[in-house]
Amino acid sequence: MGDCQSLGDCDDARVGRIYEYLDGALSREDLIEIKVHLDGCADCAQEYDLECVIRTVVKRSCKEAAPATLKAAILARLHEGRPAEV
Amino acid sequence: MQTLTVDSLVMNISEPEQVIESAAQPGSDKSIEVVPPVNTDVDTVDVANESVEARRARFERDAMQYVDQLYSAAMRMARNPSDAEDLVQEAYTKAFSAFHQYKPGTNLKAWLYRILTNTYINLYRKRQREPLQSNADSIEDWQLARAESHTSRGLRSAEADALDHLPDSDVKNALQAIPEEFRLAVYFADVEGYAYKEISEIMNTPIGTVMSRLHRGRKLLRDMLADYAVDRGYAKGAANELKEMEK
Repeated sequence: MGDCQSLGDCDDARVGRIYEYLDGALSREDLIEIKVHLDGCADCAQEYDLECVIRTVVKRSCKEAAPATLKAAILARLHEGRPAEV
Repeated sequence: MQTLTVDSLVMNISEPEQVIESAAQPGSDKSIEVVPPVNTDVDTVDVANESVEARRARFERDAMQYVDQLYSAAMRMARNPSDAEDLVQEAYTKAFSAFHQYKPGTNLKAWLYRILTNTYINLYRKRQREPLQSNADSIEDWQLARAESHTSRGLRSAEADALDHLPDSDVKNALQAIPEEFRLAVYFADVEGYAYKEISEIMNTPIGTVMSRLHRGRKLLRDMLADYAVDRGYAKGAANELKEMEK
């Protein structure tokens, strides 16, 4: 493993930083620091790649089209003025 | 481990201001309520004096475009298309009755997701009279231990290729297999790209909880996906190495 101190001192912290990086949750300085680190560390770069693939795969798999009947049913109920069950 | 209770997810539709305020965290710049109360860009709706007809037209115009997305999320909550449809139908009905409380110009889709999540917790799951579908505490120990073993092993390139070839059904099943509070956090982050703060508002949980759910959920998901890849024979090298490690 390369010098990953800048991302954290254990795998868990490292992965956490990569998640935050991908989530856009880091400050500008941290973001640059990680970007520089990923350029020079094959281990972390692979970790990053894997995370990207997972997100792509999840996004792709979860796209569903609602049945046409659902949209019609929603509209029909809106026009009935039926109160919502609470 | 904090478990997901009905109370923790109750969305107070009648007092949206309070919910937003309590969820607001310093240092976070993204929010569902990013737009100030006075809108100049969007149509200036006089919500208080709007007729029912006008409100309905506005709802149809603005909210109906998200049916597919809400249905996709509902499919990650309910376990079959029929329940997912009921859930979305009910969420839309509730959303319309509360639409006068939605502030025009704020994030409508996130507002709808919050209602959907709340509907799921309050209505669907209660009706099913099921306990939490999986016990996060018992599942995490052994699975997280295994997930840990996946990291920093140099298998990841092969693993990434293998995961990329998984059929959609495997990915959905893997998602379905992780505890639901983790699953929904992962869904809102990875599929919808919501920021932690937005997810915390949709799920009505603190940001720290969202982050830990995401962290654990992603590790579990990765582990599940790796298992599917091995089962499909996509990752023979990785499978052999894993077996070696388990000895």
